[in-house]
Amino acid sequence: MTDLVVPGPSTPRSQRVLSLLGLVAVVASGLVGGNFLGLRETLWGSESPEARPAALSRDAGQPASGPAPTTAPAAGETVLRSQPWWQGLTKLEGRGSTTTSPFTVSQDALQWRAKWTCDTGRLLVRAPGQARPVIDAACPGAETGYSIRKGAVSLQVTADGPWTMAIDQQLELPLNEPPLPAMTAPDTKMVFTGSLYRMDQVGTGTLNIYQTADGRHLLRLDSFFVTANIDLELRFSPLEAPRTTPQFMASPSVWAAPLDITAGSLNFTLPPDVNPAQYRSVVVWCPIIDSAYAAVTLRQP
Amino acid sequence: MTAPTKAPPAPSRHVTVRGEQIPVVLPNRRDPRLKLSTVVISIHVLGQTLLDFKVSIAQILISMAVCGLIEGVITFRNTRVLAWPASGVLTGSSIALILRASGTVHGDYWSLNGIEFFVLAGVVSLLSKHLIRPTGRHLFNPSNIGIVWCLLVVGPNQVFAQYLWWGPSIIGQVLAYLVILFGAVWILRAVKMIPMAVSFMVTFAALIGLFALGGREFIAIWHDGPIGGMEYWVNVALSAEVLVFVFFMISDPQTAPKAPEARVLYGATVAAVAAALIYFQQTEFGIKVSILSSLTVVCAVVPFLEAAVRRRREGAEAAAPVPAAPRAPGPAVRPAGLAALRRPAVLAALIIAVATPIDTALLHDNKQVILIEQGQVGKANAQ
Repeated sequence: MTDLVVPGPSTPRSQRVLSLLGLVAVVASGLVGGNFLGLRETLWGSESPEARPAALSRDAGQPASGPAPTTAPAAGETVLRSQPWWQGLTKLEGRGSTTTSPFTVSQDALQWRAKWTCDTGRLLVRAPGQARPVIDAACPGAETGYSIRKGAVSLQVTADGPWTMAIDQQLELPLNEPPLPAMTAPDTKMVFTGSLYRMDQVGTGTLNIYQTADGRHLLRLDSFFVTANIDLELRFSPLEAPRTTPQFMASPSVWAAPLDITAGSLNFTLPPDVNPAQYRSVVVWCPIIDSAYAAVTLRQP
Repeated sequence: MTAPTKAPPAPSRHVTVRGEQIPVVLPNRRDPRLKLSTVVISIHVLGQTLLDFKVSIAQILISMAVCGLIEGVITFRNTRVLAWPASGVLTGSSIALILRASGTVHGDYWSLNGIEFFVLAGVVSLLSKHLIRPTGRHLFNPSNIGIVWCLLVVGPNQVFAQYLWWGPSIIGQVLAYLVILFGAVWILRAVKMIPMAVSFMVTFAALIGLFALGGREFIAIWHDGPIGGMEYWVNVALSAEVLVFVFFMISDPQTAPKAPEARVLYGATVAAVAAALIYFQQTEFGIKVSILSSLTVVCAVVPFLEAAVRRRREGAEAAAPVPAAPRAPGPAVRPAGLAALRRPAVLAALIIAVATPIDTALLHDNKQVILIEQGQVGKANAQ
């Protein structure tokens, strides 16, 4: 092995070259190790995604007059990512063949889908620049077609009769919904509050439960994050502070709301037959793997 | 890690290859490195059974095999002896004790996830050992520099160091502390490193205590919310990870100073540098890299520590004409100054000594590390 102790003038050329290469490697290590100019994350990737604006609504509220921004302004940028979820873009309907008014698919979208129905004949829907049709089916029928084309999209519809399409885009951005108007109504009172703690996975944020004047219960998660997975749900538990999945499973719990989005600030309307006062905690539950991800102990404000 | 002393050669055995008789040196029961290997392997066993270490048996074995192979080849090339590569195997075992590849799941015993990082750490360890020898012996603790290189250069997206907290098994933790403490007495007494370890622990515990009193906190993926106050002190100063570091890594007689006074100074200096780097860190990843980096930095200045102690001793001897104490063994520090920088090994050591603390300090506000430690990267097993 080459020894770098004293490579004087009489040192073989190969050893001098190796010494130089070694020094270059040491300097390069120093630069990469400090992540100078983002070198380390360029080389090895990053777990910290680019900051992007969070979504503001479950429905992008596409006006009929033309495309509109589907995400919040830059002020709400975040590096957090949610389990992919579907945001409503627009609803299209017509009779026979036509070119639809354009809708805008966000550049942040993973894909979009068209949930369609038709009554007679055949329905063929093409997106510009895409060889394979989004929909090519016999009617009557009701299914879903998918596409990954982004930006402004006008669909070319070839049909024999009436049809409808509900267009949704799939995002992994957090959703920052403003509180529901009923949550801030004068007659509404906050009945329970609490902070998430982790169980099998990470969970952060706060949970508030409101009771409206007409007796309904609304639930809001603020600055919420839970480790992403599909089909998560919120369940009420009689335990004050469950710490483990077996502990949670040992007591009967009730379904409270689906958790299709795993980051952001979210509103839910609780089932009318569920009275939060009968429970002492809310658990983020993954029914697929029987795992309690996180929980909140309910306290009176 | 510590490679206490070299075993006495026993070249009575040999093999004949193409007519050449090649001496064979097998493991010796009296080799002190076996003591350390016993302790490290015991911790590995606890890690696989009770402590939920996120390292596979395959990662451990391959790490040991790669380092052993490199060491064996180099030894054979230099000495024409087929020697049991005890130091190399120990280096590999030590790397696997501390280094973790993100995404490895405890219990997946034959997982090869991130095996390339274990191999890289081993290669860097042994290259540094055999190439960076400005004083005629290796300057950096091999496993330490390999792990630090991997943590800094490969980075938090791919690798991390074993957690400071070795729970949740109480029995596992008690057994681990017992193995570490008994192992420490068994090994450190033999290599006369107990004063060094005490010097480190006292300095480190005091400084970390001050940080805790001053309200410093850190976040860790295994903990809900920031860790501060007494919990900060206990988790950093008394961590099993730190004990392994002080008892079995910085106590390597090959890279530590030889003179007893210099060893005490060395222990305190490693602790002070570690604490200085830790002060700025807000994540467990940053704290662990700080602790490990402190040894890399201080190893680079060990020749100067030894020289300073020697000068002080010589000054004292000159002032008091009493019989001189035996001079500390080890090579003399060669003439310093800009001329020394023309030597690649010196230059490499200098670059490492400067870059390591800078790179470590830059972790303090690394968004990726913070996101990982908060558990918010979206992966169920980000570490």
